[in-house]
Amino acid sequence: MPTKSLSAEYLKGLWDENPVFRQLLGMCPVLAVTNAVINGIAMGLAASFVLIFSSLVVSSIKKLIPNQVRIATYIVVIATFVTMADRFMAAFFPPISKALGPYVPLIVVNCIILGRQEAFSSRNSVGRSLIDALGMSTGFILALLILSSIRELLGAGTFLGYQVLGPWFKPWIIMILPAGAFLTLGILLGIALVIEQKTKGRTV
Amino acid sequence: MSLNLRMIVVLTAVGLIAGGLLSVVNILTAERIELNRLREIEEAITQVVPGTVTSEIRHEEENLIVYSGKDAAGKELGYAVYASGTGFQDIIKIMFGTDPSVEKLYSLTVLEQKETPGLGAKITDRNAFLEYWENKDVRQPLTLRKPAVASPQDLSATEVNTITGATISSQKVLDTVNLSLERLRRALQEGILEKEDQDAD
Repeated sequence: MPTKSLSAEYLKGLWDENPVFRQLLGMCPVLAVTNAVINGIAMGLAASFVLIFSSLVVSSIKKLIPNQVRIATYIVVIATFVTMADRFMAAFFPPISKALGPYVPLIVVNCIILGRQEAFSSRNSVGRSLIDALGMSTGFILALLILSSIRELLGAGTFLGYQVLGPWFKPWIIMILPAGAFLTLGILLGIALVIEQKTKGRTV
Repeated sequence: MSLNLRMIVVLTAVGLIAGGLLSVVNILTAERIELNRLREIEEAITQVVPGTVTSEIRHEEENLIVYSGKDAAGKELGYAVYASGTGFQDIIKIMFGTDPSVEKLYSLTVLEQKETPGLGAKITDRNAFLEYWENKDVRQPLTLRKPAVASPQDLSATEVNTITGATISSQKVLDTVNLSLERLRRALQEGILEKEDQDAD
């Protein structure tokens, strides 16, 4: 693998290998929790916390883990950090913890996190894994932010709970229902592909 | 070290370290999580039985906890009933307050629900739902007004409003309230609450 510069290692998570728009990973939380911006941000931060610390741990102990039990080891490491994040949110941010419900424990099986351990942290240095995790986290948070902003604005006329659109606006309830998540994600993925084609001249 | 042994050692070590870390996290957060839960119930009692300063558990049965709300002088202002019942998607946990004779319902609040966002989830919204539950006459079971009316003044004292598009969620909350009122009255008649009252005095 040709070594990239550290900044390229970070930036690839934002666009070229954006976990949501380019790798299509972690779709379950992306679709489920983006009905309000605050939920999107909270999920993004919780998943980032887990991703960053799991990458640090996995990349530092990668030489000790026998190949045959690597996935089991990753899951234990990931689950530990998820449980920490879950308990921490329940203790200090109870309303958000309630709103996210079962989606925090489900970070354990979020493909972005397991995917980065398998594809990156298990073969790269601690520093590089950290930068990769930071980049992927930023990309994930950005994607959640874009999706939840669109859905909250159209579905409730608010942003972060503040009324943005005037009384003339009739909320599109469908946007905060699951169907709205699929519609928004589909359109955004289409736009991402068009931009990719136009800028890189690639055909898909 | 043979491969088998190494696998066992690594997984055991990782599991032990993870377990140790989690028990530390649990020790650090358990108390606060319990406090949050209690504070939420306390706030709900103060909200549904107006003027409450202190409260205490008076009776507990399956899916039903009765608290009594008292003012600073210790005078009983009414009962706050914490009840859970099935909703459209999952259990809905509510709390409502009544006067000591269980003839009047002061107000209702929803503590936990997983109804459809934007539709059934409006049961937590004051303007859309809870406002229509204030100061109801509960000597008879409450009934649901359908189609929905636009203002609480349009309802009679024994009616509550439907949320348009979420009739089931509205109905389920109503069912839980009516059932719990009945259970509260039965507990009163059987003297369970009075007996505990004397103990408390």
